[in-house]
Amino acid sequence: MKVKRQFFLFTAVLLMLSVLPVFSTGQQGADDVDAKNLVYWSMWNETETQAMVLKDAIKEFENENPGVKVDIQWNGREIRKTLQPALDAGTQIDMWDEGVELLTRSWQDYAVNLDPYFEKSYPSTNGKAFKETIIGSLQDLASDLSTDGSIYAVPYQPFVVVSFYNRDHFDKAGITKTPETWAEFLETCDKLQAAGFTPVTIDDAYMDLPLGMHLNRVYGDSNKVVELVKDRSGKLWDDPKVLQAAKDFEALAPYMSPQTEGNKWPAGQQEVATDQVSIYITNGTWLPNEVMGTTGPDFRWGQFPYPAATNSASVTGGIYGAQGFSINNKCAYPDEAFALIAHLTTGKWDKELSAKTYGAPMDTSMPWPVQIEECESVFASLDTYIPWSGGLAEDSDAFPIIVAEFTSLISGKITAEQFIGNVKAKLK
Amino acid sequence: MKRDKTMMITFVTPALITFALVFIYPTIRTIFMSFFYVQAVTDSLGKWNFVGIDNYIKLFSSQMFVQSLKNIFNIWFWGGIGVFAVALLLSIILTSGVKGKGFFRAAIYLPNVISAVAMATMWIHFVFSSKYGLLHNVFDFLGWENMAAVQWTSPTNQFASMTVAYCFGMVGYYVLIFMAGIEKIPRDFYEAAKLEGAHIFQQFRHITMPLMRAVMRSSIVMWSVSSIVFFIWSMMFSTLDPQVGTVTPMVYMYALVFGRSIVPSDPTLLNAGAGAAVGVIMTLIVLVVFGIVNVTIRDKKIQY
Repeated sequence: MKVKRQFFLFTAVLLMLSVLPVFSTGQQGADDVDAKNLVYWSMWNETETQAMVLKDAIKEFENENPGVKVDIQWNGREIRKTLQPALDAGTQIDMWDEGVELLTRSWQDYAVNLDPYFEKSYPSTNGKAFKETIIGSLQDLASDLSTDGSIYAVPYQPFVVVSFYNRDHFDKAGITKTPETWAEFLETCDKLQAAGFTPVTIDDAYMDLPLGMHLNRVYGDSNKVVELVKDRSGKLWDDPKVLQAAKDFEALAPYMSPQTEGNKWPAGQQEVATDQVSIYITNGTWLPNEVMGTTGPDFRWGQFPYPAATNSASVTGGIYGAQGFSINNKCAYPDEAFALIAHLTTGKWDKELSAKTYGAPMDTSMPWPVQIEECESVFASLDTYIPWSGGLAEDSDAFPIIVAEFTSLISGKITAEQFIGNVKAKLK
Repeated sequence: MKRDKTMMITFVTPALITFALVFIYPTIRTIFMSFFYVQAVTDSLGKWNFVGIDNYIKLFSSQMFVQSLKNIFNIWFWGGIGVFAVALLLSIILTSGVKGKGFFRAAIYLPNVISAVAMATMWIHFVFSSKYGLLHNVFDFLGWENMAAVQWTSPTNQFASMTVAYCFGMVGYYVLIFMAGIEKIPRDFYEAAKLEGAHIFQQFRHITMPLMRAVMRSSIVMWSVSSIVFFIWSMMFSTLDPQVGTVTPMVYMYALVFGRSIVPSDPTLLNAGAGAAVGVIMTLIVLVVFGIVNVTIRDKKIQY
């Protein structure tokens, strides 16, 4: 009987113990007690090209700096949901990466002020200060987004939203100059159509971008677009400028792919990649890489900035940004962490990342891949930052309603007047 | 007897503690949280801002949340009618002695073992595509040009398309349940009815349906729960942001708590407290549906 009781007690204790690990905090183990261990939470999945390049770069950094060991946790984009809870729970995470906007606007409080590090030089900066090596406008963006004007994220992998086109189609249609105004854009579409091509397409995932860009061209200020989106009285929607913007898209509708209204990403991208459509109206610098499996590296991509709208107030704004690295303000070795970041974002490894992903380099001395070479001048010409969606997403209730109506407008299912009327009625 | 009690307590306590920690505590915390403005779901209590029932008021004045409730009702009601009707029909056919029952049962159930993500991708690209999708090709072959050109995934049509695709996958699950229910009914009843001259519809109306009450009741509750937590299909049909035709309360809650899927949201638009309020509302809806089903479909305790 006594044995039986002891058996039950033993089993009960075992049960209790089996529950305990659930409540442990999962501290990252340090393999080498003498080494300076850095834990890096990455926004990439281990099988992505970016991850492969970063892995090699980090290995080289560890070889060059024997005292530093880097533990990489490949989180993928789930990091958007997992990082903050992990930081709040006290998990050791020394550095992480994500979009510069998210890093600064959402996680600035967890990060180190990087201003002093930007003044120093590193082995990959050829004796120059770090800030003189990387694209200046992205440093400005990183500091503008923060609450105190300091930099909390090191940008890498820059992107810009532009219009992509098939150079072969342009050549065959006799188009020698990319369009700068809306009238020229329609003229270009007309020539493409006359040459037997379907001129323009877009996917649902990017449907907010043309309208956002257009309204920013019209108003020259994304805050005005935010006011428009938040207006429930309908007065701002009665502005003739809005009607004119809608009329611009009504005029574009006959040139859009017949699939536009039902295009689920990446169906529209594939229309361009498979030579069926000539222009993807708004997409990011990553487009050639995303469809590389279909196009191969020899596809003749071209890019031009989003054209000026009819009666534009400004034409020099653009949607741009970058991925970025931040360092935890509780990191025990911030100097080593920044040295690693400098190693990854400048010189050889920046070039490697750019070449392997057909993306833009961060180091100003590096060439842009041929697939996006025209983006370099577009990027350089931008002087105003337009947020993603151009401010349309600042009202999460109005945004889907406007985008749904805009899809009907750009597909030619409704007129400009109907677009305005429908949006006003549904936002009341 | 005393020893048995000790044993009972010893074994039950860990389970009870675990249940309390992983279920009761989060439930209470969620209800509590729904009365606060909480920007990030992990914010400490000190950062919570009491707003009373403001989150609930905002939700019911939000066009998208109201739209999400309409969508979920339509999925539940119209989808439910479709799924139950087709599942009943198939289960009656398969239990009527048709050859190859095992094969058909497995084939009909197959969509349930495939990931919803794969199923949705297949439907979006290989059924609904207006360029190379199944529907396009069939209508094109028949010469129905207007039907072949329909944009099944456009904002106007995507709710119906998504509901059909979802229901297609759910039929097999209910076929299995209904078949089990029908097979439990003794064959003698049908034989006696046949001898009395009852045709197949009378047999269905007076034997099958009354004896399937308990099965139907459980099925309706299960269908209601799965409809109310409708999420993956909606996310697949609108990967980046909630869309009017695909938004459901779960998707709306996800957007409120975590923001946009690919591009960052303005942090001030996030509200985990309102997300918790959505959770509370969904729980209440499930309870109400459960109550209504229990009251309207009473099990008459028929023994056979």
